[in-house]
Amino acid sequence: MKTRISEFRKELGLTQEDLAQKVDVTRQTIISLEQGKYNPSLKLAHDITKALKQKQIEDVFEL
Amino acid sequence: MIAQPQWFARRKYLGWGLYPKTWQGWVYIAVMIALLVIMSFVPTVSAQTVQTVTLIWVGLCIVDIADVMVRMNKDEREKIHEAFAERNALWVMLAVLVVAIGYQASQSIVKTGAPTFDPFIIAAIFAGLIAKAITNIYLDRKD
Repeated sequence: MKTRISEFRKELGLTQEDLAQKVDVTRQTIISLEQGKYNPSLKLAHDITKALKQKQIEDVFEL
Repeated sequence: MIAQPQWFARRKYLGWGLYPKTWQGWVYIAVMIALLVIMSFVPTVSAQTVQTVTLIWVGLCIVDIADVMVRMNKDEREKIHEAFAERNALWVMLAVLVVAIGYQASQSIVKTGAPTFDPFIIAAIFAGLIAKAITNIYLDRKD
C-alpha cells in the first residue's frame, strides 16, 4: 500500500521515532509503512492520520 | 513484579524468551544469578535449605520473566510476525513429533510385535491440542 506518511511526517518535522511514539508502535513498523511493505489495521491508519494532522485516512494511505 | 518489560527484548532469531536490551536488564540477570551463587557458598546453610531456596528462587525468576513477557508492549505488526513465527515453529515441532511416534511404533513392532508409544510425546501433542482449542474458544468469544 502506497502512503504519504514520510511526506507529512517531514512537513511536521517529526522523526520516524517521534511518529512511532505518538502512535505507540516501533520505529521498524513506521519504516515498513513508509516503504509500503506493511498494511496497517484501520485503527493504526486512523491514529497515524491523526498524528500527521490529516483529516481523512485516504489523504495518507492510497486505497 | 521486579523486572520491567522495557529492560528486555523478545528473542526472535535464537530460541524463545527474552534477552536484556538495557543495562537494567543485565543488572537484573546478574543480581538474580549472584544471589543464588552467594547463597550456595554460605557455609552455615544446609544443602537441603540451599536446594529448597534455589527451587523457590528459580520459580520466582520464571514467574517474573513470564510476567514481563505478558506485559511486553508489542505493536500489531510485531504481534503478526510473532504469531507466524510461533505457528511455523509449532508445525515443524509437530511434524517431528509425529515422525518420532511413527518411528518408535515401527521399531517396537519389529522388536516386540506390538506398537508402543512414548507417553510424553503423546502428552505434548494432546496438551497442544487443548491449548489450541482453548485459544480458539477464547478468540471466538472475544471478537
